[in-house]
Amino acid sequence: MVAPTRAPLRTDRLRAVNAPQQVTVDLQESGLMTVGWPDGRTVGRVEAILESWRIDDEWWRRPIARAYLEVMLEGGKRLVLFQDLITGEWFSQMP
Amino acid sequence: MTVSQAIGLCPTLRLLEPDPVHYDEQFAKLLSALTEVSPVVEQAELGLAYVGTDGLEGIYGSAEKIVETIKGTLECWNVGMSEASSFRLGWGVGKFIAWVAASRAKRSEAIVVPIGEEQKFLASQPIAVLPLDHDIHRRLRQLGIRTLGALAALPEEAIAAQFGSVGRRLWLLAAGRITERVVGRISPEPIVAALMFFTPIGERELLIHSLDQLIVRALRHPRRIGWRVHALRLRADIEDGGSWLATILLKDPTADGARIAAPLKTRLEQSPPTGAVERLVLEFTAFAPGTSELQLFARDAQAAARAGQQRALQTAAREIRMRIKRSSLYHIIEVQPWSRLPERRYALIDYEP
Repeated sequence: MVAPTRAPLRTDRLRAVNAPQQVTVDLQESGLMTVGWPDGRTVGRVEAILESWRIDDEWWRRPIARAYLEVMLEGGKRLVLFQDLITGEWFSQMP
Repeated sequence: MTVSQAIGLCPTLRLLEPDPVHYDEQFAKLLSALTEVSPVVEQAELGLAYVGTDGLEGIYGSAEKIVETIKGTLECWNVGMSEASSFRLGWGVGKFIAWVAASRAKRSEAIVVPIGEEQKFLASQPIAVLPLDHDIHRRLRQLGIRTLGALAALPEEAIAAQFGSVGRRLWLLAAGRITERVVGRISPEPIVAALMFFTPIGERELLIHSLDQLIVRALRHPRRIGWRVHALRLRADIEDGGSWLATILLKDPTADGARIAAPLKTRLEQSPPTGAVERLVLEFTAFAPGTSELQLFARDAQAAARAGQQRALQTAAREIRMRIKRSSLYHIIEVQPWSRLPERRYALIDYEP
């Protein structure tokens, strides 16, 4: 007998690269801003905000609204954070 | 009738988007099921297939029993369908008689034209069963010819004089003088490249960009080496369940990405998908051997080098899998490099060399 005429279609599985990682941001009244991981570990204290921008997208399906901050932590490490303006949660992400 | 005319006539009309990919998949399953009965299955067009039954008598018995077996196969195929569909079966000597018999059969039934009774069967059939264009059909009706028997009763030369070589062929078909055998075709294993979008995309430029990526990936496939692409399909799964399909037969088989892309891009320009696309799938379905001249070009020399790299990668990947018991090799591919959201721009895809 002849083999099936068509090979089954392989659906390529995609995994997102650079997915946002949830962080916590603690802003004190004194203006001191501290970034940490959800498990309580501290990432670092923010020394300066270098840049800020906002992304609004996909208003026609599930709206996305993010306020991005590029910050410099104590010690000179740079980090990009954004706050999801719909849920209020903070994330870290490579720009 | 246009859609607006149809809605005008029937305001409660429910419009259903066509789903060519679904039709194609179901037909492929049907062909696959038929190959369980006979190794010689010819795909004529969507929904029409011929099954060669020569030599099957020793397995199944008479023509009626062969038809019953095929009917049983089709009923099993039908059970797996989400919505019951119907089929018609015809058995006869040659494809034309079998087709006419099938077209006369009732839903899910069969008509068997016994050997020797072909002319009697054909004589009463309307001329509409012939593969003729509207003009010839009109002229035949104006001449009072309404059945194949009436056509076959005329002299062959008279028909040929009126309608040329097409007319001669029609006369031969009507008289049952042509017996076209079923030709089983070797279906090459297609090369498939697919891209799934995190968010459905509707912009044509983005679809064309994705298409270019898919063509590059498919051309790099090791099975393509030494072969030029002859036929290809581009399929799109549309948001909300529809689908879109473009089938292209290249006049001149080629391994050049730009020449492969050109007709697909034209199709995307002229009749784009009706909604946002969730997944885009490119299939190279038929190939032509690369010419000897082609081997001299750098492109195929590069392809040969890639084949060597591919073998080395396969060996390395196999070793990794044996050591850590799972595959952890990925490609990084562009998904939506234009996206404003960083996580949408690139993705990891399982790497299976």
